[in-house]
Amino acid sequence: MAEFSWDVRSPLDRALAVGRYGGHGDAGVALTEIRNFDLIQVMARRGKAAEMAKAAEGRFGVAAPETPKVVQTADATLIWSGPDQFLVRSKGDKHGMAALAPLLAGSASLSDQSHARVLVSVSGAKARTMLAKLSSIDLHPGVFAVGAAAATSMDHTSVTLWRGNDRADGQAVFNVLVFATFAESLWHTMQDSAAEYGVAIGHSEEF
Amino acid sequence: MAGAQTNRLDNGGLIDRTAPLKFRFDGKSLSGFQGDTLASALVANGVKLVGRSFKYHRPRGILTAGSEEPNALVELRTGARREPNTKATTAELYEGLEAASQNRWPSLSFDVMSVNQLFAPIFVAGFYYKTFMWPAKFWEAVYEPAIRRAAGLGRAAGVADPDHYDKVWAHCDVLIAGSGPAGLAAALAAGRSGARVILCEEDFAFGGRLLSDGGMIDGLPAAEWLSRTLAELAAMPDVRIMARTTLFGVYDGGTYGALERVNDHVPSPPEHQVRQRLWRIVAKRCVVAAGALERPIVFAGNDTPGVMMASAMRTYVGRYAALPAKRIALFTNNEDGWRTVETALGAGLQIAAVIDARPDISPSHRSLASRNGFTVLHGSVSGVDGGKDGVRKIAVSLTGGARAEVEADGLAVSGGWNPAVGLTSYHRGRPKWRDDIAAFVPDGAPPGMVAAGAANGNFGLGACLAQGFAAGAAAAHNTGHNGKAGTAPVADDETFSLTPLWHVAGKGKAFVDYQHDVTASDIELAQREGFESVEHLKRYTTLGMATDQGKTSNVAGLAIMAAVTGKSIPDTGTTIYRPPYVPVAIGAFAGHHRDETFHATRLTPSHHWAAEQGAVFVDTGLWKRAQWYPRAGEKDWLQSVTREVKAVRSGVGFCDVSTLGKIDVHGPDAGAFLDRVYINTFTNLAVGKARYGLMLREDGIVYDDGTTSRLAEGHYFLTTTTAKAGLVMQHLEFCRQVLFPDLDVQLTSVSDQWAQFSIAGPKTRELLKEIVDPAEDLSNEGFPFMGAREVALRGGIKARLFRISFSGEMAFEISVPARYGEAMARNLMRAGEPLGVTPYGTEALGVMRIEKGHVAGPELNGTTTAADLGLGKMMSTKKDFIGRVMAGREALVAPDRQVVVGVKPTDRARRLRSGAHIIPKGQTPGPGNDQGYVTSVCFSPTSDQWIGLALVERGRERIGEIVHAHDPIRGEDYEVELCNPVFYDPDGGRQRG
Repeated sequence: MAEFSWDVRSPLDRALAVGRYGGHGDAGVALTEIRNFDLIQVMARRGKAAEMAKAAEGRFGVAAPETPKVVQTADATLIWSGPDQFLVRSKGDKHGMAALAPLLAGSASLSDQSHARVLVSVSGAKARTMLAKLSSIDLHPGVFAVGAAAATSMDHTSVTLWRGNDRADGQAVFNVLVFATFAESLWHTMQDSAAEYGVAIGHSEEF
Repeated sequence: MAGAQTNRLDNGGLIDRTAPLKFRFDGKSLSGFQGDTLASALVANGVKLVGRSFKYHRPRGILTAGSEEPNALVELRTGARREPNTKATTAELYEGLEAASQNRWPSLSFDVMSVNQLFAPIFVAGFYYKTFMWPAKFWEAVYEPAIRRAAGLGRAAGVADPDHYDKVWAHCDVLIAGSGPAGLAAALAAGRSGARVILCEEDFAFGGRLLSDGGMIDGLPAAEWLSRTLAELAAMPDVRIMARTTLFGVYDGGTYGALERVNDHVPSPPEHQVRQRLWRIVAKRCVVAAGALERPIVFAGNDTPGVMMASAMRTYVGRYAALPAKRIALFTNNEDGWRTVETALGAGLQIAAVIDARPDISPSHRSLASRNGFTVLHGSVSGVDGGKDGVRKIAVSLTGGARAEVEADGLAVSGGWNPAVGLTSYHRGRPKWRDDIAAFVPDGAPPGMVAAGAANGNFGLGACLAQGFAAGAAAAHNTGHNGKAGTAPVADDETFSLTPLWHVAGKGKAFVDYQHDVTASDIELAQREGFESVEHLKRYTTLGMATDQGKTSNVAGLAIMAAVTGKSIPDTGTTIYRPPYVPVAIGAFAGHHRDETFHATRLTPSHHWAAEQGAVFVDTGLWKRAQWYPRAGEKDWLQSVTREVKAVRSGVGFCDVSTLGKIDVHGPDAGAFLDRVYINTFTNLAVGKARYGLMLREDGIVYDDGTTSRLAEGHYFLTTTTAKAGLVMQHLEFCRQVLFPDLDVQLTSVSDQWAQFSIAGPKTRELLKEIVDPAEDLSNEGFPFMGAREVALRGGIKARLFRISFSGEMAFEISVPARYGEAMARNLMRAGEPLGVTPYGTEALGVMRIEKGHVAGPELNGTTTAADLGLGKMMSTKKDFIGRVMAGREALVAPDRQVVVGVKPTDRARRLRSGAHIIPKGQTPGPGNDQGYVTSVCFSPTSDQWIGLALVERGRERIGEIVHAHDPIRGEDYEVELCNPVFYDPDGGRQRG
């Protein structure tokens, strides 16, 4: 009887090589894959959006976004994904399928997307410049503030983009959630787009 | 040894004499300075002849100093980077630049094809159309290639471009085209008001005509005002000023196209950098301060090297300290042309004469002439004596009829100025005529756009500053920015008094369109032959159709047509203006999307494992799918595929089928929803069971198929074909949101959540027992055919298991969350090693589905009904569903429709090809007896011969009939037998076993 290991492997496992690439000097862009998170799609049942919102607020202590926004709590990120629907990102089964289903079962349909997406965080002095090559969204600080989100496309690939909390050094952080099977392709495009500014590549399991 | 810069001034100009640059033109070593263009460096080296013309191979020099240049086109760089038709007037000089003249053989000064000039009388407008008419088929094969060799411009590199290109988005409140006085004033006003501003300047230096003409602004010399203004703009965080960037077009919704030549001014881009960048700028407002272009006057010999626009001559002398001639004459019909005389005198040049076509000349210019000892002639230039070495003598027709001659080696020409109306007219705008400047000016513009300064017909420096500033302030205000803009910069306005003059009669060719060699007499000929409309004139003579798009020629062409038809110029009208304003390389439009990165790709969860196994991949839409897994010693794909099929049919194999679309259908009405979108029923599907479903389009034709499983009371898991995954999701969302908003159902794509593998073959259970927790019952009773449920795997994770079969074998599909996909492939290989487990690719998958008679993409081809596919009985008569009504149309239920049958060649050794047409035996193939075609073929290892599926008229009634397969593409004709499409295990015992 063979012994099996069920190693989880990120779709970027092969493509992502930690290190410093591209143009010399300070890395203008940091590309960091955030690995191993839980992601649950929550969609309100017909006519039960208010009930769902109430249940969600009870669970997370904040109202889930009803417009293209992201709400961050200590252990969860609620990401708007369409009218009467949002994604819950968390870690370590805190707000996974098993935890959320009993609470939201009557008012919403839940679908596990934990393995369906790859999350890449883009930051650094040249993050906006680099993202302008990929995204038609206006990322000017006065337009796309912390918590802003967009369901958009990059390199003909559907993504959810949002601005997370700023880095400790004050730099803005942009999060790109992409379908897993497109991830390697978009990753190469991102890396190529960042190369001229110098790019620091890494991955993290930090929430 | 680089040539001496014989025509360079010792002082002045905006060149850096401490930074000399060596370059080569037609192999000859020359030198210039940082700050030069190729054209200014050639001028500084005394080079007058730079190219041969398109049709007549006439010697040509430099006419302008900007992007409107029709003559001085060169092949820039060498090898893979060779770029034809590059304007020497905008190409920045860099160390080691190599340029070659175009359209000459064997050399520029001795050009064999210049004999064309001798035949010039027959090379008139429409010559090719009139001459190369018979035989018609000779045009493509003989005439056109020969003409293209003789005429034409530069040569393409012929190999792949080694450089990279970017596409970038930008957003702003106020976009400004041009950094002349109007553009800079607009930027100041908008920037100070607090607006987000982007200013695009096509030159590498900011300032527009200020760089050549100078002047006083706010009491400061122009250069000082310029540096102060640029410093102020640079300090504004929301103002971006971009050099080497041409705003070339305006598109819907306030989107603009601009090309930034990021690294055209260096030999090759530095590592990691792009050559050019295409900007898509979304702007709420746009101020077009693109200036105006000085226009030539059409006279005999006006294309002689040494004849140059007056403003260009000022630019070469003033900005580049390079002298196009030693002794110049000026031919002007306006006051502005005289500024060239002042500049030339300042640089110590001799003025041979000024030929002014106007009746009156200002006293100040008269005294300038007498002070400097040159004559002022009232009249027009009627001819130029000169050749490839430049101008020698100028013939003048004096007002009153007398003639005069002027000896000069350069002739500056000013026929007035045409505002750059391109951008304002790109949405089908037609500019309007203004008599006072005898030029077209913008008449309205696309939404949010205004023209200011010279682009709007206001040529004076003071007017440019005032109008630009006002336009910038208004644009900022209109986008909600009301900061303190201060006051507009102030300057005097020069006088601009012009008497229109377009064409001077004379002997010899007088060019209107230099680049396409269109002469004044060509336009007269076009009129005589009935091509009077400007659009006909353009196409018949090719006026304005060269790479310069007629920037220096269109208005003169219209004016000449107006004169010969007796109409006014505005009544003659303009042709339609279309972007791009300057040629844009296709590479810039493509950006990152070329070669392997032409489009995004999708990889299955086991992709890298399959690559390790040496799989050959095939592009299936965006996907890379393992097509087969060759093994050492196998000589072709067929051998590998045959091995894989045999291994599955006799043992066990597995295949990554994650590419199928997967959709979670949730909600109390999920079943009811599926009943409406599928032709068969799903409300009565038990939890834990799967069912094959077929959906139709609204018109009754089959749309897609797949299995759908019921995982819980209100949760179905629907699968689609790989090809239709996205479309089906869209279709279902449309049904949910628009057609059936009353149903409580929610859809989520989970295509990427699950890694799904098909495991097939008689030893499938043996393999699964190694993977699945021993407590799970996989027996026929515990897990019957079409069962579907969650199971535990050894090692602690959960999977979904579906007992479905595409291959016709005993088979399961197993799904695990995608990040376990690679581990699943490895574990299947480990667990299956004693069983000889064989990974198989899409080819073996296809072979087995054809053997089993399953329809797929080639049969679900957008023309077939459920009945055509042999699935008519699935159509429920107890409920309504999408496509039901239309599927009942007469033609869709006609008895003679082409339906799916099997085909096999009567000669067992023959290979089948899909696409062959089915003709009744003994008949001559033709459209009248074409009864269908072969849709799918494979070599069937099980039947040991080629087999196929075909769509054949009344096919099911004709099983056993021998028909004729006709393949005109491959030139094959042979006999096939129509047969049951299920070649393998027709009673289905194996998959149920």
